[in-house]
Amino acid sequence: MNKEQFERALLELKAGKDDIRPSDVVVFSEPLRTALNRAVRIGRISLTDLARELEIEREPAKEIAAILISRHLFQISAFSNEKETFYETRLSAMTRPLARPPSDIFKKLDN
Amino acid sequence: MSKIVSVHSFRGGTGKSNTTANLAALLAKGGARVGVVDTDIQSPGIHILFNLDESEMVHSLNDYLWGKCGIKDAAHDVTGHLGTEIKGQVFLIPSSIKAGEIARILREGYDVGLLNDGFRDIVTELGLDYLLIDTHPGLNEETLLSIAISDVLVVIMRPDQQDYQGTAVTVDVARKLDVPKMMMLVNKIPSAFDLEDVRARVEQTYKVKVIATLPHSDEMMTLASSGIFSLKYPDNSVTLGLKAVVDEIVRS
Repeated sequence: MNKEQFERALLELKAGKDDIRPSDVVVFSEPLRTALNRAVRIGRISLTDLARELEIEREPAKEIAAILISRHLFQISAFSNEKETFYETRLSAMTRPLARPPSDIFKKLDN
Repeated sequence: MSKIVSVHSFRGGTGKSNTTANLAALLAKGGARVGVVDTDIQSPGIHILFNLDESEMVHSLNDYLWGKCGIKDAAHDVTGHLGTEIKGQVFLIPSSIKAGEIARILREGYDVGLLNDGFRDIVTELGLDYLLIDTHPGLNEETLLSIAISDVLVVIMRPDQQDYQGTAVTVDVARKLDVPKMMMLVNKIPSAFDLEDVRARVEQTYKVKVIATLPHSDEMMTLASSGIFSLKYPDNSVTLGLKAVVDEIVRS
């Protein structure tokens, strides 16, 4: 991930306040999208692996992970230890409290 | 290692539920432990194919999503309902058919993340070899979620212009979600169409392998979802096509 891709990823992630939904992942730019697809599919990812998927260092990966935590896609796993942080992934489609989000999938896909 | 398989189509009426039920039965016939989740909450129906009567439904997917029960409590062992000796097992997690419950869940919504949790938990809790997800047609967060966590995606379409256009959207989205294995099944092909021509056209259009081209079947229509077609007609050409899909899923 080069600097421009990193900045774009941060912008995309910070643009929304709701939980990250599957339709959000579809429109994220690369390499963020592929990295998140992998994390979602395996259910848990370490900070080291996240950094490797994003092709960045640990500190910027941590910055991205923090936003993903705030948007409830990631949560710190009980597997985490002093040497490594693990994140559990959980795709959602709800805002909190429980409410059905607006159906704007096609708007996102068209954009 | 267990596999999650989503069966999806952009439009309704393509034969998703029938296909899902048949794939599950064929996998179980081969000795596998198979789970089936009906995520078509708005219009559930796969329970009919498994002869699971509403009165037998202790809990449904709806109950799990409302936090009334664990996902395992909503799983019904329907192996004995299949009407034939099966080496493996089939567990069905049905959606509620009660109008009030359907209306409630549509009105109030639910946390789709619970589906994500439920899929993972049920694979572990029941020791499943395969979890098949029967999806609602079209693109919504639930179907995207299913695709996002699946190891295999079976896309079903008919040789119909509406299906052609909509399937392009599905295939594009599935590629963006990096589905490890995607395959296509073309269903309900009129007798006037050449099956190989249909296969070639679809493969060229979407650059996805077509595992089976299934002809329109009067026997299937006559059976009318009263049972599992492939178990009743094991030598029918439609069953042979479904077996090819099963083989591809197993190989994936």
